[in-house]
Amino acid sequence: MSIRTEEMTLNMGPQHPSTHGVLRFVIKADGEVMREAIPDVGYLHRSIEKIAEKVGYHGFMPYTDRVDYVSAMFTNQGWAMACERLGGIVVPRRGEYCRVIAAEFNRIASHLLSVGTMGMDIGAMTPFTHAIREREMINDLIEELCGARLTFNYMRIGGVGWDLPPGWREKALAYLDHFDPIWEEYNALISYNKIYVERLANVGVISTQDAIDYNLVGPNLRGSGFKWDIRKDIPYSVYPEFDFDVPVGTGEFGTLGDAMDRYMVRIREMRESSKILRQALNRIPDGPVLAKVPRNFKPKAGECQVRVESSRGDMGWYAVSDGSAYPWRVHVRTGSFAAMGMINKLSRGLMIADLVTLIASLDVIAPEIDR
Amino acid sequence: MAKSYFGNIKDAITTIFEGLAVTASHLIRKPYTVQYPDRIPVRVQDTLPIRYRGILEVDLDICTGCLACERACPIDCIVIVVEKDKQTRQMLISQFDIDIAKCMYCGLCSEPCPTGSIHHTTEFEGADFSLESMIRRFVPEPIYAYKPAKGPETDPRIIPILNRGMRYVNEFAQPGSDKPAEKVA
Repeated sequence: MSIRTEEMTLNMGPQHPSTHGVLRFVIKADGEVMREAIPDVGYLHRSIEKIAEKVGYHGFMPYTDRVDYVSAMFTNQGWAMACERLGGIVVPRRGEYCRVIAAEFNRIASHLLSVGTMGMDIGAMTPFTHAIREREMINDLIEELCGARLTFNYMRIGGVGWDLPPGWREKALAYLDHFDPIWEEYNALISYNKIYVERLANVGVISTQDAIDYNLVGPNLRGSGFKWDIRKDIPYSVYPEFDFDVPVGTGEFGTLGDAMDRYMVRIREMRESSKILRQALNRIPDGPVLAKVPRNFKPKAGECQVRVESSRGDMGWYAVSDGSAYPWRVHVRTGSFAAMGMINKLSRGLMIADLVTLIASLDVIAPEIDR
Repeated sequence: MAKSYFGNIKDAITTIFEGLAVTASHLIRKPYTVQYPDRIPVRVQDTLPIRYRGILEVDLDICTGCLACERACPIDCIVIVVEKDKQTRQMLISQFDIDIAKCMYCGLCSEPCPTGSIHHTTEFEGADFSLESMIRRFVPEPIYAYKPAKGPETDPRIIPILNRGMRYVNEFAQPGSDKPAEKVA
């Protein structure tokens, strides 16, 4: 005797605790297996690009924090670099170092949140508290540097808003000494846990070709074994002066490009960021941190596109100037949006419980999808 | 098949105990959590760094009425009315309102302030019952704007306020120079 079954339509989100913000999925499920999951984005759309046309070049800087609130240093840097290219401004070397230091601390903090929530989404609560504890210490450092813990507004057109405070460098180096062993401890706590590995390995496998075809960037692309990092391949700022590796997925726990590979890439990137930070903090030159930029900043008419390697991958900032004090058009291209386009394909044939694993492993941030 | 089945169970148990060993090592550590608000000897506000961007405050004694903050604010949450007093030929500030409900604590207003009059405090507890009460009105009655003295400041009442203000301004990066701006008074 066969039981007649029918396809069930489920709604997940927008206020689901494991969707990393306001995200909605329409799931067509056959029992516990998904036929497909259709992402429905747009709940956090705040017309950030349009606001830029109204508030001017300097005034848009705090808004860029809100594009990706978990790694606001990179959005700051992207906008600052776009304006500098439009206006032909050269950032002082100490300013560039300050930017790199702040940005790499932010990358560690962002990845800590990512790997922490990864554990929490699949049911491991303790690793989250460990990750958040470390992130809290980075937040304290950044708070001392620029006065805010999340929406930094640290960078300015032509440099950074604040120089490193006295004694901050030693504190930051002391934190890195504390952080490197913590990384091993975190791996012992959760990364090599057999149950954890079984939940992540062979889930949401993205082949290298698919990752390129679907325009994935950052750790999602590198997790599929493709070595592509803007910091190495299209160098910006002072990154060419630092010695660091680009970790890629190896498929050591299952298939190449599965959720575990993307997770391990983030874990290893934190170690690389720590390496960059040590070099930057030890080599930081003296000098000014901010170039002279008029308060009424009016770049010549033209357009530019800059790319920064954010913690969620290649982030593109496109700005068009018509010679007035307000940008004519601004566009942001973010990694999370590309990752959302992949979810429909990846979800076919996946268990419903694995959808949260998939979302967490792609590390999407809702405001970055919608902007 | 059976070998890998039991091997998996063995792996799971050993790795769980590795993780539990980490958790156990944290049992004897001092807690990292700071109990808010009254379980620490000092107020939380006093432990925050000088650059902390809390609720905005204005020292009207050293406000020059230059409107730099009003122009810098991207969301227009600052409203200043300045007019020239015809008799004394001095600038008269008759209104200085900051809408704390609108403010996004970006710090762009305190950066161009020449005297550090408008500045972020370390206060952050701003909950209130109505939107109207979130508007901080700093001018109860019209007052003359501060006019920087030629040479060092002489008014003993202003000196400490100005020193505090300049200490705040000097925290910001000065364009094109690695030396902090010259100290006033």
